[in-house]
Amino acid sequence: MTSFRRLFRARFLVITFAAVAGSSAATTDLPALWAERVKSVVAVEYVTVTETERRPTVSMGTVVDAAGTIILQSVAIDPRAALRQLKDFRVYLPGEGAGAPAEYLGQDAFTGWHFVRAGQETRARLTPVTAFAGPGEPRRPAIAEAVWGIGLRPKDEDFQPYILRSSVALLQAIPQLTAIAQQEVAAPGLPVFDLQGALVGLAGPSGGQTFLQISRTGRPVPTLLINVEESSAFLVAAEVLPHLGRIPRDPSGRPLAWLGAYGLEPMDREVAKFLNLQAQSGAVVSEVLEGSPAEAAGLKPRDIVLALNGAPLPQLKPDRAVVAFLEREVERRAPGEKFTLTVLRGTERVEIAAALGEQPKLAREAERRYFDRLGVTAREPVYADAIERRQRPGVLAGVVAHFVKAGSPAATAGLRPDDWVREIDGAEVKDFADATARLALIEADAERAEFVLLVARGNETAVLRVKLK
Amino acid sequence: MSRGFNRLLESVVSINVRELAFESGARRYTSSLGSGVLMSEDGVVLTNAHVVSRRAVEINVTLSNLERVGARLVGWDHWTDLAVLRLDMDEVKRRGFKLAAARFGESEKLFPGQEVYAVGTPHGLTRTVTRGIVSNPNRYFEDNRGINGYETGMFNTWLQTDAAINPGNSGGPLVTSDGRVVGISSRGYLGANNLGFAIPATTARVVLESLVRDGAVVRSYVGIVPGALQDLENFYALALNTGVLVSSVDPGSPAAKAGLRPGDILLSIDGARVDGRFPEQLPPIQNLVASRPIGSELRLAVKRGAETREFTVVTERLESRVGEEWALEKWGLSVRRVSRTYARENQLEGTDGAVVIGVQPGFPGDVAGVARGDILLKVNQQAVGSLEVLKQAHAAYEAAPAPTLLETQRNRRVSLLILKP
Repeated sequence: MTSFRRLFRARFLVITFAAVAGSSAATTDLPALWAERVKSVVAVEYVTVTETERRPTVSMGTVVDAAGTIILQSVAIDPRAALRQLKDFRVYLPGEGAGAPAEYLGQDAFTGWHFVRAGQETRARLTPVTAFAGPGEPRRPAIAEAVWGIGLRPKDEDFQPYILRSSVALLQAIPQLTAIAQQEVAAPGLPVFDLQGALVGLAGPSGGQTFLQISRTGRPVPTLLINVEESSAFLVAAEVLPHLGRIPRDPSGRPLAWLGAYGLEPMDREVAKFLNLQAQSGAVVSEVLEGSPAEAAGLKPRDIVLALNGAPLPQLKPDRAVVAFLEREVERRAPGEKFTLTVLRGTERVEIAAALGEQPKLAREAERRYFDRLGVTAREPVYADAIERRQRPGVLAGVVAHFVKAGSPAATAGLRPDDWVREIDGAEVKDFADATARLALIEADAERAEFVLLVARGNETAVLRVKLK
Repeated sequence: MSRGFNRLLESVVSINVRELAFESGARRYTSSLGSGVLMSEDGVVLTNAHVVSRRAVEINVTLSNLERVGARLVGWDHWTDLAVLRLDMDEVKRRGFKLAAARFGESEKLFPGQEVYAVGTPHGLTRTVTRGIVSNPNRYFEDNRGINGYETGMFNTWLQTDAAINPGNSGGPLVTSDGRVVGISSRGYLGANNLGFAIPATTARVVLESLVRDGAVVRSYVGIVPGALQDLENFYALALNTGVLVSSVDPGSPAAKAGLRPGDILLSIDGARVDGRFPEQLPPIQNLVASRPIGSELRLAVKRGAETREFTVVTERLESRVGEEWALEKWGLSVRRVSRTYARENQLEGTDGAVVIGVQPGFPGDVAGVARGDILLKVNQQAVGSLEVLKQAHAAYEAAPAPTLLETQRNRRVSLLILKP
C-alpha cells in the first residue's frame, strides 16, 4: 500500500511542475500558433486492391515542402502489398470531409517514410512543416520542457484536428534520438512543437504500456496496451529535418542497398567483458546469405561486428539498438558504396572490405497472377522465399501460393498461403510463366473436374487434389 | 460371466508411477496412475508407454488381492504405446502371492458390433469393468506427439470401441466375454462420447515379445512418409490397389539421399508389391521397412510420371524426435538433446546442440535471456556434441561458479549470452 501512495505522490509533484512550466510561457499565443501549424498536417487515404476486396486505409501525414510532399510513417503501408495494388491516394485537410487526389512517390529505406504528393489545388492550402523549423540548428527539446502536437479525429468526423499537450519525460538514442513525453503528444506521423511554435520533432508509433487487467475472479493479467491513434514518442527534429529530401527516385523505392548479413544479434556488456572487449559494443552475424555482398567480402557466420569504417559501434541501450544502428548504416548508403567492418572471428580481429549490392527482387515486386475459379494467386518465387525455406537461392523453380481465397477449390484442397507449388498435374513447374500458362489452361477448361498439386510447406511436401466440380 | 472372464479380472492390475520430470528447468517428481494386465505367471505386466515411461523412478503395482508390489520397467515402445514391467518376484514369492496371467485373444477376428469389455482403474476406481462393442476393428490414426511428445501410431492400426475409456483405464485390457485380451486400452477422444481406442492384440503380442527379449523394438527407417492413394489411381495411371503415394520424404534421410521425391508412387519393396489405397493399409507397409535389420539394402520400385525406376536405399535405425533429457539445475535450464529427426525437421545445420525445454524464472539461464525452444550450440566455445558437454560445464559451474558463455540459436538467430553466478 505504501508503494502505491508514494507513486501517487510522485505523479502529483510532476503535474504541479508541468503547470508551473506552462504558466511561465503564458506569453505565447497558442491558439494563433495552432491555427498556422494545423495547415502542415493532413490525413492520407488509399485503397489496397486485393484479389477479393478493396481495403481503404487512413494514416496521418506531415507536409514537408512547398511542392506538397507529405511523409507517412513506415507502418502506414503493408510492406507485402505490391505497388500496383496501392490505388486512389487522397489527401484530406483537417476538418474537411472531401479529399483531393494525390500521388504515391515510394518509400525511403533509410527513414522508412512513405512519400506522397498532394495535387496542385491542395498544395496552395498547405504549409510545409519546415516553415516552423526556424533558422540554424534544429530545436532540441529538453527534459521537462512542455511540448504540444496535433491529433486528427476519424474520417466520419471529417478529420477534425485537436490539440495534445505534454512534457518531455525522457530522451533516448534507440539509435535515433527519441523523446518520450509523459502523455500522448501527437498522432503518429504528425509534428510536435514547443510553446513558441518551433518544430521539435515528429511523432512515431507509440510505445506500449503494460496494465494489469483484474477480473473479479481471476488473477491480475498483465496486458500491453498500445494507443494507435496518439503517440507519446517522437523523433527529435535533428533526426527528421536532414532527411526530408530523401524522396525516392522511383515509387519502387529502388535502388536499395544490400549487405546480406542475416540475423544480427546484439552482444551485451557481459559477453563483451567475457571476451575481453571492455566497453565495446558489437553484433553477432547469425548467417551470411548465399550470393550476397557480405559473402563476397568474406564475412562469416558467428563473426562479431565491432566497428564500421574504423569507428567502434556505439554503446546504446537497449542492447538491440546497436542492430538498428548497423542496419541503418546499410540503408542510408547506395548500392556500390564501400565500407569496412572490423569483426572478431574467434580471437582474431579481421577487417572486411565490403561493397554494398542491390537488394534482390522483393516479394512485393514479384510477378503475380490471380486465378479466380481456382482461388489462388501464383507468385514468382524470390530470393527471400528461398532463404526462408533454406533452399539454394540460385534455383528458384516452382511458384508460391501468394493468396488463397477462403472457401475456394484451392483452399478446400488444403492449399495455404506461402505454400510452394513444385508440380502441377505431376509435371515439374519450371518457372512462373510455365506455372501460369498451365493454371490458365486448367482455369479455362470448364470440363476439368480436378487437378493435382505437389506443394512444399516448411519441411513437408504434400500432394493436394483440387476438385473443381 | 465366464470362468475365463473371472480369471481375467484377477490378472488386471493398477499401476502407480513416480516419474522424473525435467520440463520446469529443474528435476521434479510427478506421480500418475494407470492400469495394466499380467501376461505371465512370472510377473510380466503389459501396459501403455504413456503410463510408465523411461523416466519412472518408482513403480508400484496393485494386484487384484489389493496388495502392492514393486516393479521395474523392462521395455518401452512409444510407437505402439506399449510398455512392459516385471514385478519384483522375490517380493511376490516372499509374500506368497499367486499370480494369474491373462491370455491374448485373436483381435484380427473381431467384428464391428462384437461385445467387448474394458477393465482398469479409471480415475483411480480400481477393478472397474465397462462394456461396449467394437466400433471399428481397424482404425488408422497417427499422432506425431501423442505419447508425451513422442510419435505414435505409424506401425499399427487401433481397435475403436464405445466401451467407456477414461483416464486411468490406460494400459488395461480390452477383452471379449470369454476374458481373452484383444487389445490394450490406450486413449479416448476428449470431449467426445464413447470414442475409445485400444492397441490390438496382434500388435501387442509381437511388441511384448520384443520388449521382454530386447527391452526395445528396433525398427529400420528410410524416411518415406507414405500417403493413401484413395482414388488418385486414375491420375497416376495406375491399376487399382497398386502402390502407395510418397507423400513426403524426410530431408537428409536415406530415401532423400537415394533421390526419392514426394509425389513418387512406391510400387514394391524388394519385389514385394505394396498396396496403399486406404490409410488402414499404411501400417503394414511401414512394417515392411521397419521389420528389416538396420543397414539393409532395399530395392524400391518407383513410378515417377510415365517411367518406372528402381532405387536402392540403405536403412537407418528409426529414432524419435525426442532426445535424451536432463536438468542443469544451477542454471535453471532443462534441456533435450537435438536428435537426428529434430535436426532434420527444423533444418538445423547439424545434430550438435540441446533444445531448452524448461526455464526456471530468476535463475542464471532466465536472467541471461535463454527461452524455451532455444538451442544451446556451444558452452564456453565448446560445441555441444552431447549432453555430457553441458553436464561437465554445469558441474564446473556448480563447483566454482564463474561466468559461462553460451551460444544459442533461436529460429535462425545466433546469440551470445552469459550465465552469471
